[in-house]
Amino acid sequence: MEALFTGLGALYLAKCDAAKSGQAFQAFLPAGALVRAAERLLKANYFIEDICAVDCVEGYVVVYHFDHFETPGRLTLRVLVPHDAPSLPSIAGIFQGAEWHERETRDFHGVLFTGNPNFIPLLIDPEMADCFPLRKGEKARSKAKDMLEAGEVIFVSPAFTLMTPDAPAEVKESGGDQPATA
Amino acid sequence: MTTYQNNDHLAGDFYTQNFAKTAGEGNLILNLGPQHPSTHGVLRVVVELDGEYIMRAEPILGYLHRMHEKMAEVKTAAQFIPNMGRVDYGHALGWNWAFVGAAEKLGGIEVPERAEYIRVITCELNRIASHLLWWGAYLLDLGAFTPIMYAFDDREKVLDILQIPTGSRLTYSYYRIGGVAQDLNADCIRRIQEFIPWFRSRLPMYKDLVSDNIILRKRIEGIGAIEQDTCRRYGATGPVARGSGINYDVRRAQPYSVYPKLDFVVPTSDLKDARGRYDVRMIEMEQSLRIIEQALDMMPEGEVLVKGAPKPSWKVPAGETYFAVEGARGKIGAYVVSDGGKNIYRTKLRAPGFCNLSLFAEVSQGTILADAVAILGSLDLIIPEIDR
Repeated sequence: MEALFTGLGALYLAKCDAAKSGQAFQAFLPAGALVRAAERLLKANYFIEDICAVDCVEGYVVVYHFDHFETPGRLTLRVLVPHDAPSLPSIAGIFQGAEWHERETRDFHGVLFTGNPNFIPLLIDPEMADCFPLRKGEKARSKAKDMLEAGEVIFVSPAFTLMTPDAPAEVKESGGDQPATA
Repeated sequence: MTTYQNNDHLAGDFYTQNFAKTAGEGNLILNLGPQHPSTHGVLRVVVELDGEYIMRAEPILGYLHRMHEKMAEVKTAAQFIPNMGRVDYGHALGWNWAFVGAAEKLGGIEVPERAEYIRVITCELNRIASHLLWWGAYLLDLGAFTPIMYAFDDREKVLDILQIPTGSRLTYSYYRIGGVAQDLNADCIRRIQEFIPWFRSRLPMYKDLVSDNIILRKRIEGIGAIEQDTCRRYGATGPVARGSGINYDVRRAQPYSVYPKLDFVVPTSDLKDARGRYDVRMIEMEQSLRIIEQALDMMPEGEVLVKGAPKPSWKVPAGETYFAVEGARGKIGAYVVSDGGKNIYRTKLRAPGFCNLSLFAEVSQGTILADAVAILGSLDLIIPEIDR
């Protein structure tokens, strides 16, 4: 699994509890590595299950689900995009089925996918296609690390703090210190 | 043109205007659907034709879009179960299962063994009903009127059986988080036991009269070949992938419930064409009978709903999970992300038909229009599931 991600600049790679969360591995990638990762997955005979976005405090976590026809073990790729400019490269050139999933993600969350060959609304009426029904208000958002499975970390980039299990404790400590000093 | 005539419609709508034609001169753009009988509901396909040949086809979705994923955000988990029967009316119990399965996983809820067997029995009966619906309707598309009469005769028996425990005939909402709504009563079990030999006696007749029929064979053999690589690139699962020789069935690949204890075969076909997908579904119905038969024998006595099962206001504990079941059309996935609040934070429904249909544009290219209808039907589409 590590070999699949070497040289991609992955931010986070973790082994997950498949019995609990249904995924064997998950990886956070920088947006720029997405297309290369998809190429490798296709070469390794993975198939695309779906693409969706989760609106969190930190931004939209765009989730790519992959599975394998022969070897069990679902793989989840995630990319964090900011709320103000949600844009990602399209992987529809590699997994053609991604075209519709990306268009659906645009309809629901307004995440843009550059390079999608036919980027028009898919499910929502074109006349009201900019309503993005699954975007949440500021107050309704929750933190990604409170919801997404952290898993057993195999690799984590020092700059990446979204999922790091140690990070919440540190934040809590500093959060606890602040009122004391104030 | 007089002022009384409004020719605005000749310019086409948003989708025809955005349809990228190939370079061919004098090609015809044809709207197939959204009300055409062969599109099963409200699927629309814009096709560019050179004579009878399809140069480019593009399915247009959304005519039956109801935004179930938004509804999931404003309901509690238990309140969302009835939505699942509306996502796919063909295999409603498969969808019931995917969602309650995900909620149970997050809540760490064990389902009583009797309930697991009841789920298997009802889910497989529903699969038979779904395949019969496909079979009848597909042959109707191909011009054979009689088979649907037989299919609906058999399907009626299944619906009568499922009506007893579920209380409905199509949009079932029978599974609960932690079990099922009620036990199978003696009348229901007797009817299932009668149905198995009855339906077993019908299948050879269908083979003789329909499956081996030369007219049908000419319509579906060698039509719409889907390579395994195509299945991966588009995420095709279920009978579509198995018809291309991929041995992938969620009941075996990601075992859930009591399926590991049951003996059944996952049929595959190396034909890769519409015939392959047809054969896989016909064998699957036989296998479903086998599963039901075993499950009836093995089903223990006991509770059908776990003690202290979640109340309607139950909050799903924080976390994420992906629970998949094998539906009649392929891998049904429920991706549930919860922050522990009243309603589920994010629910993503993975519809197998959505992925299966997405490869239609590629596969139909270069075929004649009549064959495209044969390919479309062989994918077994339920539009409400695709649009969600």
